[in-house]
Amino acid sequence: MRINWFDIEYSRLPLLHLDDDFEQKILHPLSCIREHESKWVLEFDLPLVDKRDITVSVDADGMLVVEAKLKETFEDHKGGEQHQFEYFKKSMTLPKNADTKKITARFADGRLAITIPKAFQGSPVKVE
Amino acid sequence: MTLTQKKSNQKKTGKEKTLLLGFPGSGLIGTFAVSYIISRLQMDMVGEITHPDMLPTVFVENGEVIGPIRIYKKDGLYAVIADIPIHPDVASEFVASLADYCKKEGIGKVIVPSGINTEGPDQKDIRTYGLATDESLERLLYYNDIPKFLSGSIMGTDATVIMTLRSLKVPLLMLYTTCHPYFPDPQASVSAIESIAKVLKINVDTADIQKRVDYLRIQNRNLMQETLEALYPQEKHVPSKAPPIYR
Repeated sequence: MRINWFDIEYSRLPLLHLDDDFEQKILHPLSCIREHESKWVLEFDLPLVDKRDITVSVDADGMLVVEAKLKETFEDHKGGEQHQFEYFKKSMTLPKNADTKKITARFADGRLAITIPKAFQGSPVKVE
Repeated sequence: MTLTQKKSNQKKTGKEKTLLLGFPGSGLIGTFAVSYIISRLQMDMVGEITHPDMLPTVFVENGEVIGPIRIYKKDGLYAVIADIPIHPDVASEFVASLADYCKKEGIGKVIVPSGINTEGPDQKDIRTYGLATDESLERLLYYNDIPKFLSGSIMGTDATVIMTLRSLKVPLLMLYTTCHPYFPDPQASVSAIESIAKVLKINVDTADIQKRVDYLRIQNRNLMQETLEALYPQEKHVPSKAPPIYR
């Protein structure tokens, strides 16, 4: 038997556990974070998306929300059922010392990189 | 480790036999590259590999049950593909059984495409580097203009593959392609496929995978996540029994 692993019809088990929302047609994107001395860089994998269809916002509770509309409907087949998805969405709580007014975002190659500067806190200690 | 061989290979060919090994790792490079080559060359499945310590998983394709680690063959080319992560705890036994299989089948070299991490989101310059454990394979790199992997550290399942095959004297060529370490990176796997094709002197048209890069990235989110969980497990906090002064 020959398997066309790249066939979009291919059914993989176990089923998704990435919090995809079948009813709202929302996919949960992969993300990762890298911490640097002065900032965090939060990355989201957003294939099949145009830059103009991405929204990044920070709500009053300090929650970062990334939403994006897919260029075309993504169809997935699991366990004999067909699901259609039209959006990516993911929310995450920002760290307390994030400088939310200086957050910047850049989108290239279907990857969104959000740079979150760290706010300076505390007072300097004199070195003698 | 149980290796179920569905067809034996007794037919000798003039060309040296080669085994391609693909398993999930950084960017899922190995999985994408080897799966694509199996598909393009229309290789036949000849066996499956199971291990009692691996999470029991089966896939269903058109109502038929198939195992997650399979062996394919076409002429003198063999391919082993894992659609589940090979946990470092079982990797040693897995690779040792593959080495046994290579010796039994008269396979002269093993080629493993894998990924190396690229810092930052820009990946305009995707490159593949070679790491060989055998002099003849070093020459193969040279003749095919594949730069050598000169320095760096390799951990996890990849390290087990290298150490085990080297100690069992099975010639190994690792092909490391720069990629995103935490996201599926089928675009980078194209470079791996092209390098394998050069080394094996075969034609593999990559147009199909290039057309489906975005879909493959979405489809393989789960496998990427499972792979990261297997390769980089969160350290569990174990309460110390030492008195507070020594904690």
